[in-house]
Amino acid sequence: MDKVEVPSGDQALRVDGLRVAFGDFVAIPNLSFLVNFGEVHGVIGPNGAGKTTLLDAITGKTRPAEGRILLNRTTDLLALDEPERALAGVGRKFQKPSVFEALSVRENLELALRLRPRSILGELRNWSDPRRKARADEVLDEIGLAARAETPAGALAHGQKQWLEIGMLLMQRPKLLMLDEPVAGMTATETAHTAELIRRLRAPERAILVIEHDMDFVEEIADRVTVLHGGDPIFEGRMADARADARVREVYLGR
Amino acid sequence: MSDARVHHPGLFRATAGAIAAVAVALPLLGGVMGGISPYFANIIGQIATFALLAVALDLIWGYAGILSLGHGLFFATGGYLIAMHLLKAGFEFGGITPDFMVFMGWSEFPGFWAGLEHFPYALALIVLLPGALALVYGFVSFRSRVSGVYFAIITQALTYIAMLLMFRNDTGFGGNNGMTGFSEVLGQPIGAPSVVIGLATVSVLLLLAGFLFAGWLTSTSFGRLLIAIRDDEARLRFLGYETLWPKLAIWSLSAVLAALAGALYVPQVGIINPRLLSPDLSIEIAVWVALGGRGALSGAVIGAAIISALKFWLSGFAPDLWPFILAGVVLVVVVVLPNGLLDLRGLLHRRPAFGNILSEKRNG
Ligand SMILES: Nc1ncnc2c1ncn2[C@@H]1O[C@H](COP(=O)(O)OP(=O)(O)OP(=O)(O)O)[C@@H](O)[C@H]1O
Ligand SMILES: [Mg+2]
Repeated sequence: MDKVEVPSGDQALRVDGLRVAFGDFVAIPNLSFLVNFGEVHGVIGPNGAGKTTLLDAITGKTRPAEGRILLNRTTDLLALDEPERALAGVGRKFQKPSVFEALSVRENLELALRLRPRSILGELRNWSDPRRKARADEVLDEIGLAARAETPAGALAHGQKQWLEIGMLLMQRPKLLMLDEPVAGMTATETAHTAELIRRLRAPERAILVIEHDMDFVEEIADRVTVLHGGDPIFEGRMADARADARVREVYLGR
Repeated sequence: MSDARVHHPGLFRATAGAIAAVAVALPLLGGVMGGISPYFANIIGQIATFALLAVALDLIWGYAGILSLGHGLFFATGGYLIAMHLLKAGFEFGGITPDFMVFMGWSEFPGFWAGLEHFPYALALIVLLPGALALVYGFVSFRSRVSGVYFAIITQALTYIAMLLMFRNDTGFGGNNGMTGFSEVLGQPIGAPSVVIGLATVSVLLLLAGFLFAGWLTSTSFGRLLIAIRDDEARLRFLGYETLWPKLAIWSLSAVLAALAGALYVPQVGIINPRLLSPDLSIEIAVWVALGGRGALSGAVIGAAIISALKFWLSGFAPDLWPFILAGVVLVVVVVLPNGLLDLRGLLHRRPAFGNILSEKRNG
């Protein structure tokens, strides 16, 4: 399959000398990498490789021991707390689908839109702003859940919850969109649908980071991949080349 | 795993209507021959304050997902403040020296009682003190991400500490005997049938107001935010919401409602002592709400009314049975009715809105 050339847009995310430790256990010893705007960047690696931990460090769930994380060249993410990072343009889908189960699909989306990022009270007061409904309608179409808009999110199928969560992030138009195993537990049809969704989300002003175990899926959507093992990047490049790489093969098959 | 929003507009209206009907019936039928006796009105009034207390807990537990096992602390704070007001007013305007002062051999009130004979000042304290207490405790715990079972246990511990403090005779709060012997309320003799019925009516009206207010609040966008906090607080934070502020707001509001309930309870029961701060009451409140169904305000009212009515009835002939009955209710809720009585309506297509009663929130 023909690959798009690696987009050479400006730096969206820059991770420098990142070190994350839990007590004595070092999950990520020293990691540096770059994701450009316009790019879909895959991160793969066996269980426990540190993929989710990397997202935790970028979003603020975990505080790294060392390193620097820059968004859009200028924003020092480590200086911000979790909500501030989200408002700065970092959107994250969790590994386990995380939606507000008692709220309807539409309410989940509407809650995600921040028209007044500086004040929660302001946001709530402007709840019935027509832009909120309009944007939710757009996203409902985009994620294919328009027919389920009034359904409580808890009643959705697993795959639909994943799409809803991606939709919530889209409401925010993030600069950096990070998806932790978006197709885990999905049927083949759902996976194909998700791949299509992600391809449509690619935009010059957005960088997308996808963590996934499904290599065919990653090959289909990602321009470049980073292979993590024990928190170290052991390969960076095209997925097709990763499959042929001796160390990658060893990590995945060799033990 | 969660069910649809726990929203029952029909049940809500029916409950509001029933509370309003009681509020109208009390002054109309109260004291009339063959109508509602002052004794019975008094019980209704007390139950109304319990129901308001349950609504307060449901706001924080059922909607925001934060379990408090210390709402007895706020209830008792309101109760102690009103008791101090009643005693001080009785002394200043009626010349009656409270028992605890006689007992301690004091001829003067401790300094911090100053001004409490004035009702508006006492009322202001009833709102501000528990509100401030909740703000401080909430801020510290929510800031340091104390949540779930840990938060609940600390609320229980704080209440227990308050109880030990109140048991001391030298603190000026009446010690282990508490405060009693109230003579008048707002210048009226407290035992007169009309006053008894009046207090009960005010309690039911306050319950109605609190119930309608809570119903309105939870239907607003703020209510959705609370439900989102309950369902997945981490998700909400990663959408850019600093959840500290909405949690603090609902927590403090809940505390103030509980204090108001306590301030109406004490004049009706005629006494307050540190036992109101024992773990029993705080746990019982959670049982009321769990039985009625968390996240459905009607459930909180119904649960509180059923259990406390049962307790009143039982206290007449078999008070010793109470702990066993309460334990039985807890077992039934945990094992058979995870959504409380609401489950009875939909036993056929049941999907629990909550997992285990104390389950921690997931994320990751
Ligand atoms: N909060 C934590 N405390 C202690 N150890 C942790 C914590 N979070 C992650 N780890 C450890 O760090 C390592 C990396 O975990 P991480 O979840 O990042 O792996 P992953 O690459 O996402 O794996 P998977 O594919 O299974 O999701 C694992 O060994 C894990 O046990
Ligand atoms: Mg992971």
